[in-house]
Amino acid sequence: MTTDTRSERRPTSTTFTRWLGAAVLAGLAWLALFGLVLSPNDRVQKTGVRILYIHVPTAWLAYLAFIVTGVCSVGYLWKRSRNLQWDRVAGASAEVGVVFMGITLVTGMLWGKISWGTYWTWDSRLTTTAFLFVTYIGYLAVRDLGGTHHQRARRSAVLALLAVLEVPLVHFSVKWWRPLHQQESVAEGKLNGLMMFTLFVGLVAFTLLYVWLVLHRQRAMAMDDMVADQGLDAALAERREEAVR
Amino acid sequence: MIAMENAAYVVGSYVVTLGGIAAYAWVVLARARRAARQVPREDRPWT
Amino acid sequence: MDLSPREVVPTAPGRKRKRPWLAMGVLAAVLIGGGVLVFQFLTNAIDYYCNVDEIGVKDGCDVGRTIRIQGVVEKGSVSEAGSGRTEFVIGYHGATMPVVVGSQPTGLFQECIPVVVAGKVVEDGGTRVFEGTEVIVKHDNNYDAENADRVDQANQEAAACSQKD
Repeated sequence: MTTDTRSERRPTSTTFTRWLGAAVLAGLAWLALFGLVLSPNDRVQKTGVRILYIHVPTAWLAYLAFIVTGVCSVGYLWKRSRNLQWDRVAGASAEVGVVFMGITLVTGMLWGKISWGTYWTWDSRLTTTAFLFVTYIGYLAVRDLGGTHHQRARRSAVLALLAVLEVPLVHFSVKWWRPLHQQESVAEGKLNGLMMFTLFVGLVAFTLLYVWLVLHRQRAMAMDDMVADQGLDAALAERREEAVR
Repeated sequence: MIAMENAAYVVGSYVVTLGGIAAYAWVVLARARRAARQVPREDRPWT
Repeated sequence: MDLSPREVVPTAPGRKRKRPWLAMGVLAAVLIGGGVLVFQFLTNAIDYYCNVDEIGVKDGCDVGRTIRIQGVVEKGSVSEAGSGRTEFVIGYHGATMPVVVGSQPTGLFQECIPVVVAGKVVEDGGTRVFEGTEVIVKHDNNYDAENADRVDQANQEAAACSQKD
């Protein structure tokens, strides 16, 4: 395959993202091997513990994604030059964060059914997590409300700076209120060695996946913006022509 | 090795995760391909 | 050059302004969903449960009121009460409470595990009984491999659970 055809089939790919993509696939396969086969059953939760290796990394990466969105929003608002690249990374990161948070919620519900005996309950961790998820769906909708690229960037950056405050609320919800959800395990060293290693494999795999997805998504967004600009340029040219006529 | 008890929930959570990620990645690449039809290669700073 | 405002021609090809109806619809759904979540947070999540020793003592943990209570299932207390009902006793900080639920609890339900039961405390001939509608298991944050050398440890913990205060 020639470079040209390849670049048209994968217009957002570079050599780096191709290698990264291969590492992501290897990481996820490694995670499935350890998570489903090589790691031990838990003394109390038995096989249910295996959901931890996807539930926890996706939750952490969703937090990270929303923090990156907040930081990039500051980046956009900070400089007078108002570089739209910051805005696109913010948007791409939020979108990936919503996908990861959705996975956290679904895997958490499945885990809840086998250990708690229910898919859902209104405790502080579950309720605040659902609120965080819904907030960032709202953030993505606000990005799509129309207007110029800078109008979109400004209003979504302000919203992102407010929304990111929910991340510590979710994280500390298990300490601030009485939850059903368990307390922190990792920082308190309450995971058996091989279980901790499997969680680490999951964390690495999902971190690489996050970077890969954000790189591709923000490049696709850059092209969407270019296409919109082309439309605007064409409309302006047409308008000028009409005015001269 | 995974025990049979609750295996459907455990395997299901892995399937939902990997399937969800694959579907999202496909959507991202498909949207990029669609936009790329109207953007010349030289306008893409990463190429 | 004439720059006076132009008359809008709605049928002009390719000039229709895309209305973000989908985004507006999603935003409306988000606002409604967010409202429901805030309501659930304020009414359920802040005071998710009362510990057994707080019943009739702490504000909001009154007898006769629909609440959730938390305690450890006492060793040897679980029994079938006929017509699908299950009885057990939960304890916390020295206080105990008999519980009756209309079904067989699921999840990791077993003796010596913390549970949260939804329902209400009723006075039954001078003794208090918690009539539960839902039992949820509240597992802790310890994870250890399931193997033979830890069975002893598990048994010791199980034996100690009913003496816990």
